[in-house]
Amino acid sequence: MINTVKRIQLKNHRKSYSISTIEILSMALESLWSNKLRTGLTMLGMIIGIASVIGITSIGQGVQKSTEEQIQALGSDVLQVLAGEAKGGNVSQGQGSSSTLTWEDAKAIATEAPAAGIVAGYLQSKQQVVYEGENTLTTVYGTDLNYPEARNTFPTTGRYLNQAELDASQQVVVLGTTVKREIFPADVNPIGEKIRIKGEVYEVIGIMETKGSQGPMDRDDAVYIPLTTMSSRIVGNNSLFGISVNGIYIKYIGQENLAAAQFQITNLLRSRHNIQSPNDDDFRVTNQADILETLTTVVGLLTIMVGSIAGISLVVGGIGIANIMLVSVVERTREIGIRKAVGATNSAILRQFLVEAVVISTVGGVIGIGLGIGIAFGAATLFNFTFIVSSASIILAFGLSSGVGLIAGVIPARNASRLDPIAALRSD
Amino acid sequence: MILMESITKTYQLGLVNIPILKGINLNIEKGEYVAIMGASGSGKSTLMNIIGCLDRPSNGQYILENRDLTTFSDDELAYIRNQRLGFVFQQFNLLPRATALENVMLPMVYAGIPKKERSDQAQSVLTQVGLADKIRNRPNQLSGGQQQRVAIARALVNNPALILADEPTGALDTQTSHEVMELFAQLNEQEITIIIVTHEHDIAKKAKRTIYVQDGLIVN
Repeated sequence: MINTVKRIQLKNHRKSYSISTIEILSMALESLWSNKLRTGLTMLGMIIGIASVIGITSIGQGVQKSTEEQIQALGSDVLQVLAGEAKGGNVSQGQGSSSTLTWEDAKAIATEAPAAGIVAGYLQSKQQVVYEGENTLTTVYGTDLNYPEARNTFPTTGRYLNQAELDASQQVVVLGTTVKREIFPADVNPIGEKIRIKGEVYEVIGIMETKGSQGPMDRDDAVYIPLTTMSSRIVGNNSLFGISVNGIYIKYIGQENLAAAQFQITNLLRSRHNIQSPNDDDFRVTNQADILETLTTVVGLLTIMVGSIAGISLVVGGIGIANIMLVSVVERTREIGIRKAVGATNSAILRQFLVEAVVISTVGGVIGIGLGIGIAFGAATLFNFTFIVSSASIILAFGLSSGVGLIAGVIPARNASRLDPIAALRSD
Repeated sequence: MILMESITKTYQLGLVNIPILKGINLNIEKGEYVAIMGASGSGKSTLMNIIGCLDRPSNGQYILENRDLTTFSDDELAYIRNQRLGFVFQQFNLLPRATALENVMLPMVYAGIPKKERSDQAQSVLTQVGLADKIRNRPNQLSGGQQQRVAIARALVNNPALILADEPTGALDTQTSHEVMELFAQLNEQEITIIIVTHEHDIAKKAKRTIYVQDGLIVN
């Protein structure tokens, strides 16, 4: 025998071949199409992973943006002095005790604190307001004439309160749009109509512009009456020092004067209230910039939390994708054996699985991105916040999912493609 | 055509080496019709897998049509399987989600034959095995005998020099077994070399030569 082999002139017929990319693509598409359930499920994993990440981060960022916008709309050049708790010795007398701030304090700030611009005192109380059969519980603000400018909110219909009404404690009222909607039929013009607050009749003279909500607070759920009327007819717990107010808004002059304004107001009030030590302050001076900063921090934390949830869902989605790709390749080892038996080279097998994984990742990815944007848009429209699509989240979600999909689809396929055909054929 | 010398095959099972083929010497000429017989575990299927380049020998030399296949790479062997060999398996091994036509076209896809030609050629081979009216059926819509004929059509479609059949009638009833064996006889008349692995004497009798394998060696 050995001699026989030696005697044969061995041909140098070594030859291999390679299949064109177009053939591979068409084969991969046929394979995906012929197993729609497997293809669909694999894509579904991809779609859900990507859509949830994009949806969640877009919603998070949209809420953040809206909150910032609303805070900025408030005006960051506003200081607010809030009445603290009146103290007898070291014992807090609690909220609802007579206010430590007065309208006289507000007037003093306006004249004596040079950095203060517009100063508006207000007194508030929750009251039932009634028009014919309809009623609603709302916040009644007793204000002076500076209130619209200090709060940057103006009537769109009718007018705000005037000096004569303030001086004479007249019973006139300006409505927030929520209150108008609650108690007036759509076809009734409220101007000149009479409503009742705490049993007494008030004439509607104006409707404020719509300010929207700030967090859970509906800023249009309010009515405005003269501070003097509020004090004499509704709240009526005046201190010895004049008309009580719950708070004072101060629009200061120029951002650079914030610290000065805060300092002047604090000193002025301490001297007026005869306070020796800062620990005894019966008022608090807060500024919108601080609130803005706090809220921004909160929203930032919210975004981190939302991002973490999205990240977790991305990981879970990725594991799902990896799982189904792995299972599908293992399940197809026999198919790989059949293909090799009829002449598929290792690289033809690998390329087919690669193309299948790319197609699934791309199609699933595009659908997932579309769905994620749709979810973000729907939520933004429904809950009325800014619609933003975070391109970083698209890149991250798509990149990671398709990366996982490719690796999980190709690595086991590569291993299977290297098996001897008979080993692949025998796997079940 | 086939020249094997001292072919051995050893499988490793954990730390233990299990010899399956212990030194096969074999010479098969072009146009022969050979049955390989042996008890289960004798190594007959392993021998056939090595002849069919589905498996590699551990040692020895295997010459097919003057090519020393023991030196060939995976891709070169794939080319040989595609161009020179055709397989028929006991369990048919068709792609379950592809039609009869698509299954038969598969070897031509890898051979790089244009689509139109693939379809024409596959239809003509399917007609030759008597399945002209079943080309759009999937394997699960065909009987066992019909599936095996699809597999034979797939083995034939690239005009191989050698057809290898591993228990081709193992999953078929007597009548369809007879039909399938009839097909092999016809193919052999067309000068195609045929090697059938079987443990049934009735089947082996149809071949012109029978080789007995026992404990990894050829016996006579």
